[in-house]
Amino acid sequence: MDRLSMTSTTSASSDLLAPATFNGRPAGLWLLRFGRFSLLLDRRAWLASLLLLLATIVLIGLSLGSGTVKIAPFDALAALFNQGETKTIFIVRDLRLTRVLGGGMAGAALGMAGCLLQTLSRNRLANPDTIGIDNAATAFAVASVVGVSTTLAPSAMALTGAITMLSLTFALSGGAGTRGYRFLITGLGLGAICGAATNLMLARAPIDAANTAFPWTVGSLNNRSGVVVTLLAWGVVVMLPLATIVGKRLNLVRLPDAVAQSLGVRVNRLRFFTIVLAGSLTGLAVAVAGPVGMIGLAAPELGRRLAGPRTVPIIPAALAGACFTMLADLLGRTLFSPTEIPVGIVTALVGGPYLLWFLLRTPRGKQL
Amino acid sequence: MSVSPPAALQTQNLVLGYQRTTIIDQLNASIPHGQVTAIIGPNGCGKSTLLAGLAKLHPAKQGHILLDGRDIARLSPREMAQSLALLPQDGVAPDGMTVADLVRFGRHPHTGLLRQWSKDDQQAVVEAIATADLSSMADRPLTTLSGGQRQRAWIAMALAQATPLLLLDEPTAALDLGHQIEVFELIRQLSAEGKTVVMVVHDLASACRYADHLIAMHNGSIIAAGQPKTIVTPELIHQLYGVHCHLIPDPISGTPVIVGVQRSIEHRA
Amino acid sequence: MATTFLSRRMLIGVLAALGLLAIVVLLSLGIGSDNAIGFAQVLAVLQGAGDDQARMTVLDLRVPRTIIGCFVGVALGSAGALLQSAARNPLAEPGLLGVSAGSATAVVISIALGASLDNLQVWIAIVGALLGCSVALGVARMSGLGDDPIRLVLAGAALSSMLAAVSSVILLTDQRTADEVRFWTIGAIAGRNLSSIRPAIPVLLLGLAVALLLARPLAALALGEKVASGLGQRPKLVRTGVMISVALLVGSATAMAGPIGFVGLVVPIAARAIVGPDIRRALIVAVLLGPSFVLLADVLSRIVARPTETPLGVISALIGAPILVLIVRSQRLPAL
Repeated sequence: MDRLSMTSTTSASSDLLAPATFNGRPAGLWLLRFGRFSLLLDRRAWLASLLLLLATIVLIGLSLGSGTVKIAPFDALAALFNQGETKTIFIVRDLRLTRVLGGGMAGAALGMAGCLLQTLSRNRLANPDTIGIDNAATAFAVASVVGVSTTLAPSAMALTGAITMLSLTFALSGGAGTRGYRFLITGLGLGAICGAATNLMLARAPIDAANTAFPWTVGSLNNRSGVVVTLLAWGVVVMLPLATIVGKRLNLVRLPDAVAQSLGVRVNRLRFFTIVLAGSLTGLAVAVAGPVGMIGLAAPELGRRLAGPRTVPIIPAALAGACFTMLADLLGRTLFSPTEIPVGIVTALVGGPYLLWFLLRTPRGKQL
Repeated sequence: MSVSPPAALQTQNLVLGYQRTTIIDQLNASIPHGQVTAIIGPNGCGKSTLLAGLAKLHPAKQGHILLDGRDIARLSPREMAQSLALLPQDGVAPDGMTVADLVRFGRHPHTGLLRQWSKDDQQAVVEAIATADLSSMADRPLTTLSGGQRQRAWIAMALAQATPLLLLDEPTAALDLGHQIEVFELIRQLSAEGKTVVMVVHDLASACRYADHLIAMHNGSIIAAGQPKTIVTPELIHQLYGVHCHLIPDPISGTPVIVGVQRSIEHRA
Repeated sequence: MATTFLSRRMLIGVLAALGLLAIVVLLSLGIGSDNAIGFAQVLAVLQGAGDDQARMTVLDLRVPRTIIGCFVGVALGSAGALLQSAARNPLAEPGLLGVSAGSATAVVISIALGASLDNLQVWIAIVGALLGCSVALGVARMSGLGDDPIRLVLAGAALSSMLAAVSSVILLTDQRTADEVRFWTIGAIAGRNLSSIRPAIPVLLLGLAVALLLARPLAALALGEKVASGLGQRPKLVRTGVMISVALLVGSATAMAGPIGFVGLVVPIAARAIVGPDIRRALIVAVLLGPSFVLLADVLSRIVARPTETPLGVISALIGAPILVLIVRSQRLPAL
């Protein structure tokens, strides 16, 4: 190693051996310059996003195409843009689009939320499933089904539950705390109360009402209200750029707090924004899909694997989340057709072994 | 307080602490411009807290910190980051990051959302890496470097920040003798190039040898400040650490070296 | 050791815990979800007098319920104390770490496969708890966890939510199981009779005996694994023992009452607050405080929403969750 640094001083002039960092831009990044403005794009992250985008499009085609009437994926995609037979267009746009859009957007939201929370807490186990928001959404939805004198649709109640929980967690945790931990654990505790309440309602309700309410305790994309799905889609569209910007800042919070702060990052404010974003995304997602587990844990992981260590992979995580959710829903609909397995069950069954492996594999002391 | 060299950083009746505990009380210190200042003192005397306070990581409970005459409480985080860089003790870098990736973080205060990379940024990064003598390893992951090289990479990040002031918290902690010298000589070189360096150092001999100015702290206040040769006496060591010792000059640098350390009788009682 | 063990603080702690237990047992016998049977009648029944309705209520409902509550409290309190000490983590709790969830899921699976709630259930619950516990302690062993209590909790939460989803799968597809289990999964000590919990009692006592045996080695382990090895302890053996003991305790408690969270969190914390962090003392006090907490929660469950009863699991979560939040809000988590 000392020998290496000696050779470097003697042969530093050799351009062939010079690392890419010395070629006018940092290694592994693309530099776009327009006059005074410039953008640095991480090559690997963008290639990963492109790859995941392709996968997403393929899955959209497959999802729109599968069902009682089979449609070729390409035709289904064309029908999305009003091309092709009227009947096909009707099936795709009016019957199937809500579900596919709901799945994709919920997955994207959970993927982003997971990525934000994991980076914030520097912990690969932090995850939108365990911050209580989904428990609250479930509890409210179940309440509306078993009839706590309300006529509201379960979806609307789920959204109300998610928002209530988010604000309550904020109020009680009194801020993010170091690495957002205070928020995470407060959510966990409040989620436990909601979980207990859900069980109570299911036990107390007449058996028929309990049976109707049960599907809300697992994530499902069946028969979701178009209004809430539209709301989610707009939410994702608005929050994706915000999350990308926050992600760029969060990249600095991967360094020790003192360093991030002395580089001019307002760490506390950034934490607050991150949690607001992650909480809102989770809330919208669970209002549509209910408690779909594992997406928020696995999607950022895949995003990181593909995008490499340089960036906080918000966009890859969003796309990976969309892919996972659509794929799980597709499997649930087709594997045992005509019996349909809710998407939350598929993710739990596939995700369970993954989680065990993830928890118990030999640790390599990875630092986010 | 008379200040012979112009002060780069100055504290006025500074009080720092956490919640109800006060760690630093009514402290008046001045960091001379363009020199290496070492803060020494026993464990828990408030060295690191002072350093963090100077970098505005802790808000002052009372008093002021003046950076080139301006109160840092009024400076925005960005202005702070453009004038002062800090390296804490626990430099844990994210996995998989290369030297160049790490050093690039130093440019954050000089870039923006739509101005992410300029020629100046590029030049600052290349120069910082070269100064830290890491040019041949710029694209190597940090995890493959030795402890000393990794510490130099962190220093390079702080250099890329292009600040006139550099604060280092125990830059040689956990390094072996050879790597310690590597880092200290880099610090001397930076000082020769005009940077003001403030560092917390545990090893008294190194502090005497590599610093122009010493600040000796005990229980949150300064008990001596000045040139190592003039202020380091057996009495001072006794006041700081409660030990008796003799001082002899270093055969090469002539700075004081402690020998024959013994616990004092009254401390044993 | 004997002198330090029987300090004045310990003596006071034990006496206070016993006093509290006596009061809570009286409350548990005397307070119902309606006011039909009061303390006077309970005393009369206990002396052999009283009318038939009073005799039935007290002897067939309240006494068994109180006894079951005591067992469950002992099991969960001591399991929590053991886990917190072994994982060196104040947040390590059977419920939060997924041990209870493992146990409950195993029972749900076994019922779906045709077992009825009474037979076999204890052993299946124990197997489930053992699996949950091994994952929890496997995660705790991972490097760098010692200084980061929250990571373990996040792992447990992820595990719990995954196991809950597995339970949901079964309940969603299997009507009979759903019907049989939906009351049980909340966690309650009401409406169980002594004969149905009998198989769990020896298991619980065995778990408790192992726990008491482990107290001394665990106290050494609290100084760090290397130091403990130097003192002649075998950390691996101790951890395995903890795992088995916790599984026996949580499994039998879950078989008796269903999954009840937060008992193992609150009780050891209270115990340590009274007698200090030494596991040898904290364990004893936790064993005595556990029943008080469970019975107190159970008494509350009868009076919170009179005339109906709120299940114990809900009350326990309502008490425990705010305490969890308080622990996290207190600036620094105490290291164990």
